[in-house]
Amino acid sequence: MNKVKITVLLSLLVIAFLLDVALGSVHIPVKEVISVLFTADSVNESWIYIIEKIRLPKAITAIVVGCGLSVSGLQMQTLFRNPLAGPSVLGITAGASLGVALVMFSVGSLTSLYTIRELGLSGSWLVIIASSLGAAIIMLLVVSISSSLKDNVIVLIVGVMIGNITLSLISIWQYFSAPELIKDYLMWTFGSLGGVTGNQLLILTIVISVGLVISFLSSKMLDALLLGDNYARSMGLTVKRARLIIVISTSILAGGITAFCGPIGFIGIAVPHLSRALFNTSSHRILIPACCLLGTVLMLSCDIIAQLPGSQTVLPINVITALVGSPVVIWIIAGPRKLRGF
Amino acid sequence: MMRKINYPLLTGMYTCLLAFLLLSSSCRQATNHKQHHSAKTGSAEIKYAKGFAIDYYDGYKLVSVYSGFGPTADTAQYVLLAKGAKAPEGFPKSQLISIPVKRLVAMSSTHVAQADFAGVSDDIIGLGSFKYISSAVVRKNIAAGKVRDVGVDGTMNDEMLISMKPGLVIVMGNPDAKYSKYETLTRAGVPVMLNSEWLETSPLGRAEWVKVMAALTNTEDVVDQKFDAIEKEYHRLAEIGRHAKDKPTLISGMPFKGVWNVPDGDSYMAEFYKDAGTNYKWRNVKGKGSLALNFETVAPEALKADYWLNVGYVDSKKDIRATDVRYADFKPFKTGKIFNYNKRVNDLGSNDYWESGSVSPHLILADLIRILHPELLPQHQLFYYKQLN
Repeated sequence: MNKVKITVLLSLLVIAFLLDVALGSVHIPVKEVISVLFTADSVNESWIYIIEKIRLPKAITAIVVGCGLSVSGLQMQTLFRNPLAGPSVLGITAGASLGVALVMFSVGSLTSLYTIRELGLSGSWLVIIASSLGAAIIMLLVVSISSSLKDNVIVLIVGVMIGNITLSLISIWQYFSAPELIKDYLMWTFGSLGGVTGNQLLILTIVISVGLVISFLSSKMLDALLLGDNYARSMGLTVKRARLIIVISTSILAGGITAFCGPIGFIGIAVPHLSRALFNTSSHRILIPACCLLGTVLMLSCDIIAQLPGSQTVLPINVITALVGSPVVIWIIAGPRKLRGF
Repeated sequence: MMRKINYPLLTGMYTCLLAFLLLSSSCRQATNHKQHHSAKTGSAEIKYAKGFAIDYYDGYKLVSVYSGFGPTADTAQYVLLAKGAKAPEGFPKSQLISIPVKRLVAMSSTHVAQADFAGVSDDIIGLGSFKYISSAVVRKNIAAGKVRDVGVDGTMNDEMLISMKPGLVIVMGNPDAKYSKYETLTRAGVPVMLNSEWLETSPLGRAEWVKVMAALTNTEDVVDQKFDAIEKEYHRLAEIGRHAKDKPTLISGMPFKGVWNVPDGDSYMAEFYKDAGTNYKWRNVKGKGSLALNFETVAPEALKADYWLNVGYVDSKKDIRATDVRYADFKPFKTGKIFNYNKRVNDLGSNDYWESGSVSPHLILADLIRILHPELLPQHQLFYYKQLN
């Protein structure tokens, strides 16, 4: 049965991927899309550019982001045994935002920018590194606090609170910043799959792969945690160490994605629920690949919608994921089947 | 335990309140109907700007600033009076400003440019931010501690502003803002004037706002003369630009996170491009000044454009490549025809293009023609623009 589901999901993935590459503001005939994809040739040179340099990197980013966010959401829901947990509960996303705010709001003071330039960093890399550092610092903070805590619920509360502190720091800074700098930052918080190309895409893919491998290797621990800390302990699991590994891999996934694409919401909360409902299991050996598949399909579909094919504008990806994700969450909490999976 | 309510007292209070409300509203209506007595003696000639009007009456001037369009349209009126003169009747909602205005507070660097233009920038005592100021006079006064930072528009330090006793605070008029932000100031007797120069759709319209500054500071003679000269020069250049034989294509701005904001047909930038003799793709698109397009819509144009202008914060081709390697495929990147308006950025990072440029459209146009048609203005030295290396 699972094989059928996986086959269906895989074919959906291929269809969504092709649609995402084929549809966009600029109309490109299907024949030409295929010709560019397989022979890197086309009658119109700008079509090659659009497909190879804009649409393909964006679609690949969507896949990486879909996998990473869904799996990190799944891990958080399992670790905290809380259906509303997601990649952002540990404050990692907020930490990444703080890093970005630091760079963007200080652009006005040329001196700081100059020093950073001397280090050989500029442009988009600067933002990526700043937000990775922000995410890493918050992660270390959460890990060090949580290592002395026994109760996972308290870890959850600490994570949320640290996130709140970080966000209010950003708000204060925003309050005193010039409108055009705030606008840049605001644009970043809308999230985007479009800005990741070339080497950045390569690095993002590597980072997320590392995170995914760690979480797949820890699927046994996750299964045990699902039964409660005491039961996990009785199975010979060191809960604190398991928690540490899970927190680190979630941080790598969520922090990496936020650094490259900005905060993208709801996928991380909604997809794990969808996967549990669809595969009717709580085994992470199945749920992790299922989350990757479903997350990818959902992310690609959101991107297709966000591009509003045929129009010349684009909607922020975060708006679309929330529009799609929120009804899913409502359906889970209030729907007929009252899905738990815990 | 509940306290007994004194009903007769409460009723009495309500009656008083109602009576007061009725009385005050009827009073307001009465004043609204009253006509002002003095005779109109003339109006300032406004040829390009759509956002304001200046009328002259016997004993005072009336400045009307229009904000918003359609159902949200609103007019703010300001009565400009000589010091000590009696306020005219018939303007119950208007603010009174005593002229010539001394002790100016300006929220935007374009206001500083207007004051510079009228030769009154020495009167500036407060600014929205020191970061964006290029004017030599104002910079000197800042260094001497004569100018204070009063906070960004919308979140100004009201207490400090009131204690500074400014003659006028000039703010960036948000078309939909109904003053609430500034009520603390106006109630304390500090006049606040909206300046929506940035909403104008033509370069000369933007510059024409200097006439408001002239009315405020009684410098009409000088300002009108200077503006007429600029207007003439602008038209002379536009004549040259529009009749250029070849019309190069161009892209402008820098995409951010997949969104590329380009000026539309209703922006003053598009008018610059038209007058400079170009074939600008979005020149006929109606809009609100700027179109938020996605990257792939602009990319085909960028791949074959002749020029790339106004690239923003970046200062070299290396910076552009660092922003996004894909931009290196654009034709202007390969041919090196990328120009930015950052020649006059001072060591503090303020860009004079946004300041004096707002009242010097002729210089910007000359720069653009020099860039796009070097043979037409061989003598001109670029003033605001420079080529990226």
